[in-house]
Amino acid sequence: ARRGAAPGLAPAMESADGAVRTLPSIGRLSRGPTFGRAHGRFGLSPSGRLLPPAPRSQENADPQRTAFLLRKQWTLYSVTPLYRFSDARLRDYARLLSAFIAAEKQKGLAVEVGVELDIKVSVSSLPDLKGSDQDQAAILVQLSSRSAASSKNSEEKLIWSGWFCCVSGDDLSENVPEDFTCLPLFLANGGESYTSIVGSWFQKTFDCCFRRLAISPLNLSWMAAMWTGCKVDKTASAMELVFSVPCLPQPLNISYAIHPEDAKALWDTVQKTPGEITQEEVDVFMDCLYSHFHRHFKIHLSATKLVKVSTAIASAHCDGIIKFLQSQYLTGVLMLLTELAISQIQ
Amino acid sequence: MDVTVAEYIRRTVLKIPRDEIKTMLQKWGFLSETQLQTINFHQIKENISQDVVQLCEENSADIKQAAVLDIIYNHIYPNKRVWSVYQMNKTVVCFSCVTGEETEFFDLTDFKKKFKRRLRSALKNVTINFREYEDNAVWIRIAWGTPYTKPNQYKTSYVVYHSQTPYVFISVSVLKSNLPLLCQALVVASNYHDIHEMELRSHSLNSLKDIVFKRYSQNFQTYYPRPLQERNVAPENGDLRIIQENRNEKERIQRVNQEVFGDGPQPKLEFAQYKLETMFKSDPKMDVLDEKEPFRCLVKFSSPHLLESLKSLAPAGMADAPLSPLLTCIPQKARNYFKIREKKGFFPGSFVSP
Repeated sequence: ARRGAAPGLAPAMESADGAVRTLPSIGRLSRGPTFGRAHGRFGLSPSGRLLPPAPRSQENADPQRTAFLLRKQWTLYSVTPLYRFSDARLRDYARLLSAFIAAEKQKGLAVEVGVELDIKVSVSSLPDLKGSDQDQAAILVQLSSRSAASSKNSEEKLIWSGWFCCVSGDDLSENVPEDFTCLPLFLANGGESYTSIVGSWFQKTFDCCFRRLAISPLNLSWMAAMWTGCKVDKTASAMELVFSVPCLPQPLNISYAIHPEDAKALWDTVQKTPGEITQEEVDVFMDCLYSHFHRHFKIHLSATKLVKVSTAIASAHCDGIIKFLQSQYLTGVLMLLTELAISQIQ
Repeated sequence: MDVTVAEYIRRTVLKIPRDEIKTMLQKWGFLSETQLQTINFHQIKENISQDVVQLCEENSADIKQAAVLDIIYNHIYPNKRVWSVYQMNKTVVCFSCVTGEETEFFDLTDFKKKFKRRLRSALKNVTINFREYEDNAVWIRIAWGTPYTKPNQYKTSYVVYHSQTPYVFISVSVLKSNLPLLCQALVVASNYHDIHEMELRSHSLNSLKDIVFKRYSQNFQTYYPRPLQERNVAPENGDLRIIQENRNEKERIQRVNQEVFGDGPQPKLEFAQYKLETMFKSDPKMDVLDEKEPFRCLVKFSSPHLLESLKSLAPAGMADAPLSPLLTCIPQKARNYFKIREKKGFFPGSFVSP
């Protein structure tokens, strides 16, 4: 059922430049308890963070089932809790979303100009993707196309995927009234216009709000440090930091890639407390890398903008784009991203 | 006219910006002025190219003529390709070279003959075209085939050879396997003994030439720190809030920058790459990594105009002045790919670039 979205507000999604929007569900929030600032384990600028424990479901999880999530570029969004969402009604949702997309196309908001596409929607659950028992299992939405001209036998092509998840999001889910489902992290791969349509439907249907999730240089540094320390079986790829200096008369990009063994050796001497990483340790790690660079080039990397971090585990871009590269660390990375999403919601 | 030739001409014309098509066709000279008059150069490019092909048909164009049009296009728009610089040398055995007395007369006809012969002896299916330009630049276009297939006109290599210098600029082709053969043919044709690739690459052919021919404004490579000069400057009328130290520092940065980079415009390069194999050194009190092994890194700088960008870092407060010689030596050393190892000796802070 449709809840009261504020009239006159366009269902368009948050743009990449992070324009601030009013929550359409502002009426909703005033009814429930205010979400206090939860004390997350991976807060915005904590003095310490616990190292992500080995994923609990790793023994049971079949890496094959989540393999399709790897090596794809996912754009990140934070999502406020969904009102009256039920994972027993996934088939219904698929049907309703399908009708919505068809209606949008009729209205002339067609996504692919000149192409007659028959879009098939599937909504399913990914039970392996959760952290604690309290987490809601991840929900996957996929759009496939079949050219309208051909019959049922023709091949379906996956054109867009998006999934909601919550990994160790207890701080949010504990504070939410019963009718709400917490799936604060949303990841999308495919055309932006499809993301917009799917997002609009969810916003209308469950009275939630999507916002692009940017990743600050501070959090990128955390990722660089944490992921460098992860043990990887096969020959790992380099640990790469990409810096941008846009405000010069001629913009400059600097890629600083360190041999993974050497980066890990450095991190291992920096990280002293077992099972925990502190902000101080991350700072020391980054300072070491910056001063090694300065020694050679006399350039202060700390004055530039860290825009991307790439390791064997995953790569992350400040615009809120992630790529998962190792299935064994998938949940670990999702835990960190869930925390960032929750911080943005609150 | 061969269908493939027609198609090739059509595609080449389509690459040219519409306003330039007429001039380029005139430079080409294959179509007469009368024929060119019949073309409406204000219509869409698709139609212009069709008209051109039609006229070429009338003149029975073959691949050699089509290739000349391609050379002309690439000569005017060289920055669409990436160019590598090669240097040829003669061994010391050649006495007159050592004394520098020799100013060999460059026999173009002989060069072309030897070049073609060398290439064709190894590979029958090649299309070779030459075109000479001012400043002694010889442009060579090679379309590569295989022993069993005709030359692929879309997979071409370009060579620019300045006959009075030992430098050759080669546009990196898709078919890298042909590179050794190409180098051999160049060496043989130009009467040198061997050729090696310099670690210098860019889209801007002219900038590469500026660097190797030293056509940019030179700068002093060594920086001698100047003693601080005591200045008794009366404060400016009125505004005593100007902080003298900052202004001194700003001026110092400008001065040092100018010494290090020179006055004139910088040659245009898009990237520089450094493979670092130096030791990691940290502040002893940080108690971190103290390895005996090198800390292996790969650093890549990229910018639409790299040297100008680097020059602006110190004034913007993001780098020290002077900037590291590893960066400022790029035009001097005529290279933008480096391997840096630790220099063993007195100055642990200095680096050797092989």
